[in-house]
Amino acid sequence: MKKDVRLKKKLNNVSNSFRFGSIQSVITLSFAALITIAMIMIGIAFFSTFSENAKNSATESTTQIMNQANLNLEFYLDSMVDIADMIENNIEGFTAGSTEKLAQILNITLEIREDIESITIFSDTGALLLASPGYKFDANLVAAGQAWFTYAAANPFEYIFQPPHVQRIYEGRRPWVVTLSRGITIEYPGGFRSYISVVDMNFSIIEEVCSQVELGRRGYIYIVDGEGQIIYHPQQQIIYAGLKDENIQKALFSETGSYLEKLNGESRSTVIMDVGTSGWKMVGVSYVDEIIQNRRNLSNIVIVILLFGIAFIIVASIFISYKISQPIKRLEHQMNRVERGDFNVENLEVKGEDEVKKLTRSFNLMIARIRQLMTQIIAEQEAKRNYELKALQAQINPHFLYNTLDSIIWMNENKNHEGVSAMTAALAKLFRISLSRGKEIISVSDEIEHAVSYLAIQKMRYKNKFEFTIDLPVELSGYSTLKLIIQPIIENAIYHGINKIPDKGLIDIKVEKEGQILVYSVADNGYGISGDRLETIFTSESTSKHSSGVGLKNVNERIKLYYGDEYGISIESEAEVGTTVFIRIPITEE
Amino acid sequence: MKKIIKYIIIILMLAVLTSCVSSTVPGQGEDINIKVIVKKQNHEFWAVVEMGTEAAGREFGVNVDYIGPTSEEDIEGQIRMVEAAIEDKVDAIVLAAIDYERLVPAAEKAKEAGIPVVIIDSNINSDKMNGFVGTDNVEAGRVLGEAMVEAIGMNIDIVIVSFVKGASSSNKRETGVLEAVGRYPDINVLDVLYCNSEEAIAKQLTIDALNKYPDIDAFVCLNAYATVGTARGIIEMEKTSEIKIIGFDSTPEEIEYLESGSIELLVVQNPFSMGYLGVKYAIDAINGISMPKNVSTGTVVINKNNMYLPENQKLVFPFIN
Repeated sequence: MKKDVRLKKKLNNVSNSFRFGSIQSVITLSFAALITIAMIMIGIAFFSTFSENAKNSATESTTQIMNQANLNLEFYLDSMVDIADMIENNIEGFTAGSTEKLAQILNITLEIREDIESITIFSDTGALLLASPGYKFDANLVAAGQAWFTYAAANPFEYIFQPPHVQRIYEGRRPWVVTLSRGITIEYPGGFRSYISVVDMNFSIIEEVCSQVELGRRGYIYIVDGEGQIIYHPQQQIIYAGLKDENIQKALFSETGSYLEKLNGESRSTVIMDVGTSGWKMVGVSYVDEIIQNRRNLSNIVIVILLFGIAFIIVASIFISYKISQPIKRLEHQMNRVERGDFNVENLEVKGEDEVKKLTRSFNLMIARIRQLMTQIIAEQEAKRNYELKALQAQINPHFLYNTLDSIIWMNENKNHEGVSAMTAALAKLFRISLSRGKEIISVSDEIEHAVSYLAIQKMRYKNKFEFTIDLPVELSGYSTLKLIIQPIIENAIYHGINKIPDKGLIDIKVEKEGQILVYSVADNGYGISGDRLETIFTSESTSKHSSGVGLKNVNERIKLYYGDEYGISIESEAEVGTTVFIRIPITEE
Repeated sequence: MKKIIKYIIIILMLAVLTSCVSSTVPGQGEDINIKVIVKKQNHEFWAVVEMGTEAAGREFGVNVDYIGPTSEEDIEGQIRMVEAAIEDKVDAIVLAAIDYERLVPAAEKAKEAGIPVVIIDSNINSDKMNGFVGTDNVEAGRVLGEAMVEAIGMNIDIVIVSFVKGASSSNKRETGVLEAVGRYPDINVLDVLYCNSEEAIAKQLTIDALNKYPDIDAFVCLNAYATVGTARGIIEMEKTSEIKIIGFDSTPEEIEYLESGSIELLVVQNPFSMGYLGVKYAIDAINGISMPKNVSTGTVVINKNNMYLPENQKLVFPFIN
């Protein structure tokens, strides 16, 4: 039962997946069509070759069979002729002695040759000279009126064969015979004398020879003499009874060979041969219908084989195409889900043909990569927001704000109104640019202005502990930049560099263009950074209480997230000499 | 593994299907068997009929089985043969009925069993048969009468020697003869005798008639037994030169009398054609082709002068090896 259901399901799958225009239908149809055409062509070629051969070999085998019969018949007729010759050689003028000798020879011959009905010798006037022994001559017979007598008398020294007839030479004997008669003229003391020798063959040998020949189921051979009289015909009686026609005239006037004829609506193949020197013709008739019957059988078989072959091919190609297209279909189905935005498809089972395997594998890889990229993008976006938030938070560092406001209050108490005004303005500008209405990208000039505002505030707070220079070429000020990337560097330079030296600090900020890269450099003459510290500077969180807590790492990560890994911060530092921080970003127009 | 098994099963199913259908492919035609049941075996007349059936069987490629009782009186034996043929489910039966009435049930049973039945030579009293092939006996009688007039003259006294009183064929031949001579007012039919198909009875009847009617010119004999018996009687009475015999059929004895002049002429039937056409029409019936209800095979008038003509030789001297 279970198997049934499964098979049914499978068949359903096969039929459901069969749509015109689908890979499966294309494979099925083209497969089936190609092989069908090939099979039909082979079938036709095979069939036509075979039937042509059959036709030829039918004629050929007819000829061969007839040759054998013909030989037998010739041999038989020759043996009759031998008897006639023997009579001639022994006739010796019909003296008393020679008659006796001849009678003896004939007696022996008649005894050994059962096919010889009788041997008789007449004088040229029709008088009986020698009769077969034991037979009574029929007095009613007028020999001179019989065809075998007159022909032989008119054609001396010819072998005259008479077609089958009832012989009536002897009383009480009415056998069917073929008669060989011959007129002999012998020189005799005092003149010439003529005799007629008559050898009657009882027909059985001829019939035996001819009736043994089988030409197909209904074919036959017949024999006619030179005048168109039937010597032998298996349907002789049917013909005499007027129940059947035989195309004797055509056979009679045709050369040795074969031809096709139509008789009573039937197509017949006829082969004609001469029988030795007797003047007879042997005619073989075979029915084309029988050859065609064979051909029809053959064509039926070929058609049935073809039909089954085609049916098999169609079923096979449906299955094969199903096998080929099924993995592609599953792939298609999964792709449809992906198309709808569902990337949570499970990995496809890798199976099917080699190409399909590769395709499946690639698809699986692609989906995995997309999934990976998506999670990466989500993570990056989250990180970006995180760093930005931290950068912003750094700007409103309460410590920095408190110190700055403290400075403002202190300056105010000292009546330093200019200082208050300058510092307040700088603070306002600092925050304005920090926020920048939520934009992440600002102009290089704004970024530098932000740095200048910060430096101004710090310079006032540190009572001119340091000096700074800004070098911003005008042509670079219009480019875009990620915001809040210079200020943390300056903060580091002040707290970790300049603050730690007794001399007056110096901070030089430069903006340069190196090819397609914009380079900010922040150089100080501060404390410098030790080698091992330099190594971990991007990886460890800043722990300094003065720092904003974001530091270099934040800036570096933000740049890399935003512009790519090849951008970011690099540091050159030498203890007691100073540090230069380079920030590289790509040049982008606003 | 399961899959391989599944495919093997599918292929096997296809193979079985293919072989099933290929076995139904029409091969060589089934052999057709035709049973020929005649009145008597080992008789010159029926031997020629057999030759006709064999010739047809050979020509049309069917099997012909030729049987018959040893005696022409074995009606029961012939009925049993018909019934055996029905049981053997032969394709067709060719029947020469011994009895006009008593073969009817068996022959009709064969027809009901769907076996075509063609009657030859001697008909039965049923219109359900496929048809009849044989001598038209009325016509044969007429031919006999006309040939007699031509040979002897139209001013004669005759005696008719028929065979079985009331039998269909003898009645018909009588009718034919009487019809033919009826047109000649000077032909006198002195008597109609019945020999019951016995040569001895015919001979005795002839001798009695010769004594009773001294002016007889000719005996008209309606079958072979009547002809031979009459000829023997006349030879015995040494009246051959005065009295003519007009006979039927061509047994060797009759031929001898014809050649010696004891018999004037013979009306010869065509048993070969009966056998041949009987089988031929049986094959037609198997193939669904209907035949004429009555097919006459004709008769030929044979006398001393034309008996050796090629066209007559075959009828007069059957070709028996």
